[in-house]
Amino acid sequence: MGYVPVKGGTEAIEASIKRVKYERLKGEAIIEIETILSTMRALVDQVMSESSLYSPHLAALAIKQAEGSMEEAVFLMRAHRSTLPRLYYSEPVETENMFVQRRISASFKDIPGGQLLGATYDYTHRLLDFDLIDEKKADYTHWLQRYFKELQEVDVQENIQHFPKVVEYLRNEGLFAQYEIDNTQPEDITKQSLEFPASRSARLQVLTRGQTGAVTSLAYASLRGYGEVHPTVGEVRVGSLPIYVKHPNEAASSEEEEFYIGDIQVTEVESFVPVNVKNDKNEEELDFEIGYGICYGQNETKAIAISILDQCLEHAHAEYPTHDEEFVLLHIDSVESSGFISHLKLPHYVTFQSKLDSIRQVKKGAQVIES
Amino acid sequence: MNRRRRTEILIQDKGNLAEKFAEAILTTYEYREITAPHYGLTMIKVRETAKNSLFYIGEVLVTEAKMEINNCIGTGIVAGMEEKLAKQLALIDAAYKAELSETILWESQLIAAECEIRNAKAKEQAELVSTKVNFETMEI
Repeated sequence: MGYVPVKGGTEAIEASIKRVKYERLKGEAIIEIETILSTMRALVDQVMSESSLYSPHLAALAIKQAEGSMEEAVFLMRAHRSTLPRLYYSEPVETENMFVQRRISASFKDIPGGQLLGATYDYTHRLLDFDLIDEKKADYTHWLQRYFKELQEVDVQENIQHFPKVVEYLRNEGLFAQYEIDNTQPEDITKQSLEFPASRSARLQVLTRGQTGAVTSLAYASLRGYGEVHPTVGEVRVGSLPIYVKHPNEAASSEEEEFYIGDIQVTEVESFVPVNVKNDKNEEELDFEIGYGICYGQNETKAIAISILDQCLEHAHAEYPTHDEEFVLLHIDSVESSGFISHLKLPHYVTFQSKLDSIRQVKKGAQVIES
Repeated sequence: MNRRRRTEILIQDKGNLAEKFAEAILTTYEYREITAPHYGLTMIKVRETAKNSLFYIGEVLVTEAKMEINNCIGTGIVAGMEEKLAKQLALIDAAYKAELSETILWESQLIAAECEIRNAKAKEQAELVSTKVNFETMEI
């Protein structure tokens, strides 16, 4: 059977597009971009992370346009990104320069600089707050005033503190391996297709833009026995990082002549993973390796999950799917996975008819044999 | 003042000084818009701390503009959709390249703004420190 071109449905499609707009507007209430930015921090962060484009304003617009659908918002952002020229590459961002807003360790009670809870839902009661149904401007203004007054009493230090990394503390003690600074230019999966075995840079790029749910589920599977990594979180930190770029035509320009372009907020995780290694005498002994996770915005579950998968993929293991980089890296991208699943909704009339024809032939053949 | 420090102040100051400085240039000197403010991307390179290697975390939306004063082209780049600020930053960058006398007068204002930015950050950090855990070891 050959392919049969068909046309039609233009009017229906136009009517459908109107209908989807009607669904967004029929309640006769709209949400402002500023409201999304002010009230849906986690959603904005997740859209930016999965679309691999840091722009809170565009993410909020995508959320509004997509009526809150994550996959649609990420798709819109990725599509928009593809229309923009890439003007610069940043200088390497060193995360020790982070302005820390939150920083905890599950490995040590006492860490240099202390544990800073920052803003977290970890210690809140997961009970619906029905007071929010009738929250009035006067209520939150009053709350804010009282909070600002409380904050006036804090003891302000003259210098801004940059917190040392927990892992550096352990490295200095000789408990963790030291790695030389590696300035090998990273691969860029947006410029060249992912190849296997993947480089560490390509792997981390795929993981950080992975769908939060997919990344979390695979890391969870590893913890439950479909993998061999069960880490202790050495440090989770959330904070802002300054971004610098060099002048494109000043090749010999120094660090002092770089442009500061702004800050991005990220969540970064270092997980400590126990591994068995062979020593000089060929005896097995316990050692620790570090799983690394980072993503745009505040999304701690995703960053921890990335750190688990990073470590899984560092040690290929045929028995476990979470240690198989093709399995992990080819199935966590939001646009790829949701796009492929949703293409199944599109017309497959010819291919399906072909399958039906085959079944009819088989059944007809069976009837002939029976008779 | 070097560009790194200058751009940190001008952007973190929320553009207040940038607007003031650019205004002073616009009214005094002839200028030419080489590239109108436009949006683009900057790919962010991050050093991961497990093996100290580099990788790309993703892109950030930026606005870029280029302005010319006295045959010197200045560049303005800022994260976000900031047409006005990008143009102002480009003008200021051109002013520094052209070594305009105004740039000497800006120095003290930039230093004062830098001090305010540092104080605001120190205050924010002190506020966050109120969430620092003070562990007490219990006797059993």
